[in-house]
Amino acid sequence: MDDLRQRLAQCFSLVFPGLKVSEVYAASSSSVAAWDSTAAIILANVIEEEFQVKLDYDVLPELVSFDLIVQHLKQEHLKLEQSKSGNGIS
Amino acid sequence: MQFAEALKTIQEYSAADRLPPCQALLVTGFNPLHLQTFFHAHLQRLVPARRVYVSTGAYGDALGTLASLQASSLDMCAVVLEWPDLDTRLGFRQLGGWGPRELADCVAGVQAKFLAIRKSLEAVQDNIPIAVSLPTLALPPVFHTPSWQLSEPEICLRQAADQFALWAADKPNLRVAHVPSLQANVPSAQAFDFKGELLAGLPYTILHAEQVAQSLAQLLVPAAPKKGLITDLDETLWAGIAGEVGPEGVSWDLDSKTQPHGLYQQMLRALADQGVLIGVASKNDPEIVEAVFRRADIILPRDRVFPVEAQWGAKPESVTRILDAWNLHADSVVLVDDSASELAEVKAVHPEMECILFDGRDYAGVHNLLYRLRDLFAKQAITAEDGLRRESLRAGNVFREAAQEPGAAHEGFLRDAHAKITFDFAAPNQRGLELVNKTNQFNLNGIRYTEKEWHGRLAMPNTFAVTASYQDKYGPLGAIAVLVGEARETTFSVNAWVMSCRAFGRRIEYQLLKTLLHRFSAEEAVFEFVPTPRNKYLQEFLELFLSRKPDGRCTISRAVFLDKLPALYHEVEIKEVEIDEVKTHHG
Repeated sequence: MDDLRQRLAQCFSLVFPGLKVSEVYAASSSSVAAWDSTAAIILANVIEEEFQVKLDYDVLPELVSFDLIVQHLKQEHLKLEQSKSGNGIS
Repeated sequence: MQFAEALKTIQEYSAADRLPPCQALLVTGFNPLHLQTFFHAHLQRLVPARRVYVSTGAYGDALGTLASLQASSLDMCAVVLEWPDLDTRLGFRQLGGWGPRELADCVAGVQAKFLAIRKSLEAVQDNIPIAVSLPTLALPPVFHTPSWQLSEPEICLRQAADQFALWAADKPNLRVAHVPSLQANVPSAQAFDFKGELLAGLPYTILHAEQVAQSLAQLLVPAAPKKGLITDLDETLWAGIAGEVGPEGVSWDLDSKTQPHGLYQQMLRALADQGVLIGVASKNDPEIVEAVFRRADIILPRDRVFPVEAQWGAKPESVTRILDAWNLHADSVVLVDDSASELAEVKAVHPEMECILFDGRDYAGVHNLLYRLRDLFAKQAITAEDGLRRESLRAGNVFREAAQEPGAAHEGFLRDAHAKITFDFAAPNQRGLELVNKTNQFNLNGIRYTEKEWHGRLAMPNTFAVTASYQDKYGPLGAIAVLVGEARETTFSVNAWVMSCRAFGRRIEYQLLKTLLHRFSAEEAVFEFVPTPRNKYLQEFLELFLSRKPDGRCTISRAVFLDKLPALYHEVEIKEVEIDEVKTHHG
């Protein structure tokens, strides 16, 4: 999953170009001044493209830090794997 | 373009403070977020020599933003209208009612809003290019008819939009997006983000925002149209090999199942009639080729084609000769041929040329080709000069051949041409800007102007501008040169000077400078020259007087100019700026 964190970090760098690499992994809406509702939507769009997932408007208010987004993407990945192997909830 | 790619493009230019700015305004009533990002990125790619800044108006008030438009602070403007911008009841974010009574009121309101938009745009459309995207999203279910049936109120709403588009169509600076094309690329169901609209005021899906943004950017910064098309003949302009089946054996019709070739001919004829140069490069017997062109049923008449290179030599050689005859660079020309190997051969010699394969049996391919050709040669308007281009090139060849003759014979030829030049000192029209922005070979410094910069340049103190039109016994060339300069006490400087390559060899440039030196009683002329990879013709002209290669700003004195001035035989007509006075003299 290091690959996931690296790819997500690239998404963050694109949306928040002012962030240092070291700051990206600890980024949250409270620590990054530029992380407002507009930036949240832009970040969601970039992540959607990068990971081929849909980040619904409903979940955006919960995805307020790098770590929370990592968790969410892992869950989405797991769901996808389950559905591929036929164990997903229909 | 992907969203991340758009952000990257914008970021790449974020530190480019040295580049001149390009200020664009994006007017929308909704949250422009994605649209703005894509619009910014597409525009930035189309104007790489500038740093693009995109500003937006107030949310929910597209018409208010339009009413306060200040063209002086902008280089271009894009307006994106959706039905709720024209009446909030035609959207999903307001609960103003969808009944028959409200609908009648909506129709009247939308018509009035379009009139108000016209008024706002009328005030600024002379100064900056404006792109307008009329509603692309479906109307909400406000009508009493089923969704598969058109109702009168919906027709009235669409008619209001169409009438606005019709009004805009003949305004040179107003360009309206082709909504059906946008809808063809992104079907309605994939264009509208219902949840995004309700929760964030973002009605466009990413896909649709990208399409609309690209369309707006292309409308504001149109690609330079190609100028010439070189076509092969056998299995391309017609089906069959004329040398084998004879001139009567080749075909281009439905009965012979070779209609794609007829349609291709029809497209080339249409392009020729809008000023595109059509040439032929074919390994063929010239007599047989001429015999085919003499057929009564030919769709592309012989007189629309110049030159015809029908011979057995290598294709690249024929293509090069055609480029020379046209005086065009390969990047302005398209080659269409049924032979992939010959296309590759030409591409190796002229890598900048667009080379397209023609396969008359591939119906879908030919269908696409017809649209592709239309787009490659598309232009904003057809000018009088477009109609003169082919004939003036034929005449140009006469001048070129005459220039090879011994001195006395050449002078006699020029004297007998009965040339007349009209110098018009009124402000140059759209044609002037077009000439400055597309001319390469006779171009003082290669500087391209936006609409705003052009008007700003002409409005500067002591500035004068002159447009030259030319005609002789071989026919008119139309407006072929523009010069912009500043006049001072005993000198004048030249800031912009271009002349169409169609006018070379006629000594028009000499006559223009002579006229200006006389007009301003100037002792010298200063040229703001900058060498470019393509302005060799102008370099050589200046070199003649400087006795050295020009490498930047340079000055030519009146004495030197008159000393080296060749004989001029033109009749000259001067049109003045304000007074309606016309003076004529000879020599």
